[in-house]
Amino acid sequence: MSSTIQIIISGLGTGSIYALIAVGFNIIFKSTGALNFAQGEWVMMGGILAAFCFGNFDLPVWQACILAGLAVALVGAITERVLIHPLLNHTPFAITLVTVGISLLTKSLVMLGLGKNPVGYPGISGQGFTSFWGASITLQTLWILGITFILMILTHLFFNHTRWGCAMRAAAANPGAAALVGIRHSRVVLGSFIIAAGVGGLAGTIITPVTLMSYDSGAMLGFKSFSAAMLGGLGSLVGAMAGGITLGLLESLVSGYVTSQFKDAVAFFVLLLVLVLRPQGLLGKAEVNKV
Amino acid sequence: MKKNHYLINGLLALTMSLSITQSYAKNNVSIGTILSTTGPAAFLGEDMKAGMEIAIEEINAAGGVNGAPVEWVFYDAESQTNKAVASTRRLLSQDKVDMIVGGGNMSGIAMAMVPLTTQAKVPFISTEGSLAIVSPVEERPWTFKSTVDDKQVFLRLKDYFDKKNIKKIALLHDTSGFGQAAAEELKALSDELGLEVIYEAFAPTDTDLTPQLTRIKNSDAQAVLCWTVTPAGVIFNKQATQLGLTDRTLIHSYGFVSQKYMELASDTAQNVLLVSVKFPVGNDLPDSDPQKAIIQSLTKKFEEKYHRKPNQYVAQTYDAIMLAHKALTNGQGEREKTRQALENIQNYHGVGGTFNFSKEHHSGLSKGDIVLIKWEDGQFRLADYQ
Repeated sequence: MSSTIQIIISGLGTGSIYALIAVGFNIIFKSTGALNFAQGEWVMMGGILAAFCFGNFDLPVWQACILAGLAVALVGAITERVLIHPLLNHTPFAITLVTVGISLLTKSLVMLGLGKNPVGYPGISGQGFTSFWGASITLQTLWILGITFILMILTHLFFNHTRWGCAMRAAAANPGAAALVGIRHSRVVLGSFIIAAGVGGLAGTIITPVTLMSYDSGAMLGFKSFSAAMLGGLGSLVGAMAGGITLGLLESLVSGYVTSQFKDAVAFFVLLLVLVLRPQGLLGKAEVNKV
Repeated sequence: MKKNHYLINGLLALTMSLSITQSYAKNNVSIGTILSTTGPAAFLGEDMKAGMEIAIEEINAAGGVNGAPVEWVFYDAESQTNKAVASTRRLLSQDKVDMIVGGGNMSGIAMAMVPLTTQAKVPFISTEGSLAIVSPVEERPWTFKSTVDDKQVFLRLKDYFDKKNIKKIALLHDTSGFGQAAAEELKALSDELGLEVIYEAFAPTDTDLTPQLTRIKNSDAQAVLCWTVTPAGVIFNKQATQLGLTDRTLIHSYGFVSQKYMELASDTAQNVLLVSVKFPVGNDLPDSDPQKAIIQSLTKKFEEKYHRKPNQYVAQTYDAIMLAHKALTNGQGEREKTRQALENIQNYHGVGGTFNFSKEHHSGLSKGDIVLIKWEDGQFRLADYQ
């Protein structure tokens, strides 16, 4: 019994990490229609910067995390101004392609600037763990679950109940019409990059105590979380949560009860199956394009 | 008639000049190296490269190979097999090196390089772990390695298990070449050793090993071996401690003996033993050990040059270059002779152990070169000697 709970908790922990990163994917997707391949790299950058602040400036962990999150948001802003803004056409496809370049650039810059060593630091409430019905869970995993949940609600409120959020969604849905009512498309793209980078960076800072981070961790985190976002339905925030948790649970249940040798294969097979049977994802809305 | 003479003279002159350039080229001895100084295995690559640098410097300061300086060609494999294979082709066809030392610091990469070097008949000393790199020897006469074999490590571990009366173990290996090869080796060996083994796997990029560890916890395995060179091993330390597996004997492979990893594992590092060559615990060895003095001397040299502590990766690449030097010196520029010279190396005391090669044995170290060590107060200490 306790081992079942242990395996489920492990799945929830991993799943919430995927969900947290998937939120960043959705922010850019919702406001520009593009897929952001740099999301995983921003997560990595957040973790490495937080470790750098923690190690070199003697800051408490939570301050290092916030500082690193803000720094990554700034990086997102600069990246958008320098690389996306000058683009002549802002089609989702063009932005998607540029983000592939941004991800490679970010990774290389972190490697050159902050080194190749994996980093880690104690969690927000130290290295401790607590137990639930005989299963043990690190305090940091509880933080991750909580912060994922809060971020999810905040992003939902932002996109559905604020002028800015609605404007961003409008710009993605119909850039021409949005421009007619006075929404500046370039501001929207800038805004979405800042928020997505900040959320990604923050995600990186809170998962690093559990997962460790090195300059090349971004790709796999990005890939898994992209799968989570697809599984839940791109653009749906609740979907990101559901997709992330499903993927995480699937992985841990398969390796806990079936086989750890083919864990990833089984998880991705289920992902394929879902996408074949329900291409819009578990909670996504089917898209109808009039031709 | 006279015209013909000129022609023959001309041809003679041409062939002579060709043979001169050829023998001139032979005078320049070159060693090619492929290591990963970027990518997931980068962490080991820098140290391994440093070990080679020291060895090459020492060799050239002492007069090179039979008076000719050694030219060293280095390529970064970026932890990617395809990059390493391309660089190997380049070393063989463009740089025309006399020997290749170092196979990208990943067993999988080294294995992919073997067919190329074998076909080109260029001796290749791998600095990677897996036994599959050099076996079967009949098919790989040109391949050697300077590292310990998984088989020898398991034989050594068996001795330790006998002392502790351990009969049932779990092997938690990663899905890289390093981890897979160990699993295969142990599967082939477990009956002979009389060990009952449970196998669990994880991907090198995994961030959570709880499900696997929970399964192990529910089994009656008395010892857990973790076989990886990636940071996931730190997660093993933390989560095994978290799940209360510390009542079993926990052992990391020789691939995980790294100060940086131990520091990342912080408090949980002390809960896990590591199986290793003697290099990291040079100071703790008894004075009777032939390795002790050379280990201390290389350690001193390394610290002076790089201002940090060397690890066993430095040792295994340093040894590999020294072995290459010995063979190139005895081989006198002939490849087959160089290959035989490598096969004939006996009782050579390197920093990583005592090397004995033979026709049947292209992996020079044995279980006597392996010890168990632990992390204590910020340094590696000897835990079990012989």
